[in-house]
Amino acid sequence: MSEAGELPLAVDGLTTAFRVEGRWYDAIRDVSFSVARNETLALVGESGCGKSITALSIMGLVPKANGRITAGRVLLDGRDLVPLDETEMEKIRGNAISMIFQEPMTSLNPVLPIGFQVAEALRYHTALTGEAARARALALLEHVKVPSAARRFDDYPHQFSGGMRQRVMIAIALACSPQIILADEPTTALDVTIQAQVLALLAELKSETGMAMIFITHNLGVVASIADRVAVMYAGDLIEIAPVEELFEHPMHPYTEALLSSIPRVDRDAGDLKPIAGQVPPITAMPSGCRYADRCPLRVPRCATMPPLVGLAVDPNHQVRCWVRAADESVSA
Amino acid sequence: MSVIAVATGRGAWARLGAGIRHHKMASFGAGIVILMVLSALLAPWLAPHDPLEQDVLLRLASPSADFPLGNDSFGRDILARILWGGRVSLYVSTLSVLIAIFVGGALGILAGYIGGLFDRVLMAAMDVLLSFPTLVMGLLVVAMMGPTVGNLILAITLTAVAPFARIARAPTLTVKERDFVEAGRALGFSHLRIMVVHILPNVLDDILVMGALWLATAIRTEASLSFIGLGVRPPTASWGGMIREGFENILDAPWLAIFPSIAILVVMFGLNMLGDGLRDTSDPRLRHE
Repeated sequence: MSEAGELPLAVDGLTTAFRVEGRWYDAIRDVSFSVARNETLALVGESGCGKSITALSIMGLVPKANGRITAGRVLLDGRDLVPLDETEMEKIRGNAISMIFQEPMTSLNPVLPIGFQVAEALRYHTALTGEAARARALALLEHVKVPSAARRFDDYPHQFSGGMRQRVMIAIALACSPQIILADEPTTALDVTIQAQVLALLAELKSETGMAMIFITHNLGVVASIADRVAVMYAGDLIEIAPVEELFEHPMHPYTEALLSSIPRVDRDAGDLKPIAGQVPPITAMPSGCRYADRCPLRVPRCATMPPLVGLAVDPNHQVRCWVRAADESVSA
Repeated sequence: MSVIAVATGRGAWARLGAGIRHHKMASFGAGIVILMVLSALLAPWLAPHDPLEQDVLLRLASPSADFPLGNDSFGRDILARILWGGRVSLYVSTLSVLIAIFVGGALGILAGYIGGLFDRVLMAAMDVLLSFPTLVMGLLVVAMMGPTVGNLILAITLTAVAPFARIARAPTLTVKERDFVEAGRALGFSHLRIMVVHILPNVLDDILVMGALWLATAIRTEASLSFIGLGVRPPTASWGGMIREGFENILDAPWLAIFPSIAILVVMFGLNMLGDGLRDTSDPRLRHE
């Protein structure tokens, strides 16, 4: 974590708690990762594992009424965002960090023309006004390959298909040339063919601009095609982080292993699918140790205390939060 | 504020405009309203006589070729007074409804967006305002502060703010939960900008529909207050005041009260048709009928 200053984004020990019936529970705890320029980090895990909470915590958008960041730092170019007040965060959101949402159908304002919505981000964060903002917005729409963008500039969101709307959302997110893009399941609501187009577009834009991308998804197929590195989350813990090929070939954490063997594959029988037995514990009854322990076949008494996220001796870039596996690997190395 | 002009200029207005054109009742109502507004605006050119010119010889004269609606107890031309009175009625009611839309709409969106204690306190205050019947509130304000046109506008505005706050708050509660509001926050937009640029255009048609209906109520309130002598002061022509003057001679010269009554009736009819039609066209559940 010492090189944090050179990285566009480093998250260090981030813990976000939510209040449920008057008591505070950690929705994510001690989450640490970083993203380099021109790198895509995929954040994967099942629903409710804390992927989106992590994104909201980075953006400073955790609902204040019943949520708060209790520990940790979010370093943007070495500057901690957690203590910043609302006005300072408003300057950063949509500007240095922007976000693409899951539902292109509802993430655009239905009563405003799409061109206006792209230009609005520009007018808000940059010195561009009036015609200049309009021209730049049009260029952005053309850049994300919205067909006949000039003619459709003043059309409303309902006149576009889901894939086109997601392109518009991407244009808005890119408007102020952010250093970091947080994509929260941007392709989940799209058809597979459109998914592939949008993924290709994102990859292309990323390599053009050199921005860092955090790609949140539960789809491991998407991960394989777009990510450079993968971080796996389970019940609010970041349990494993590794370069994408390494993770698919040598998953270390028992949960990652189980997750990979639960992907349906064309070349295998449906009978070979292995569902993971048991349930994610509810937030009000999380074990203080390893949160996967109850479902884990390798469980040892030590799992009652929280394992640290440690790099493996064979490959320090491959970190895992597991007493059994981390120890095995270190011994064998 | 070009942002607001763009935000509100296209969506809501264009939708309402298209709605009116495709809805028979609404376009009929709109036609009546436009006619009445034009005749009031053009009163100085349309009116054949001076509305204040008295003629003892024409006292309570029945309708004639020269004075098609007859003359009042001072021998003034009733047609001219109705045209000029329309200016006062429309001026007072339009201004008070516009102020009420602005204040009530802003309060309603704020209450719905902020929620919590602020919402509860504000809406409780609105409920108190709402519990005053329109006429009682009018009496209260005008009796306490004096019968001036300004106070008349204030009185009508006070009764209309609460309904506009309610009508703006209800859709705000659902709109603020929509994804594009969070997307706007993620783009760094301030709460104020989200309310003005992103929520307002989504709740504007509800407010405008209500505006047409309240315009009718405001005209009636103005007429009622003028009728009981707390509104526009004579000799300035106003519809309510004319009915009151005509009331004294209703058996001898019924046209004194009947014609201004018809004017009020027609305007209210037109505004209600327009308002109901707008509501039909802006309510997707009723759109298919």
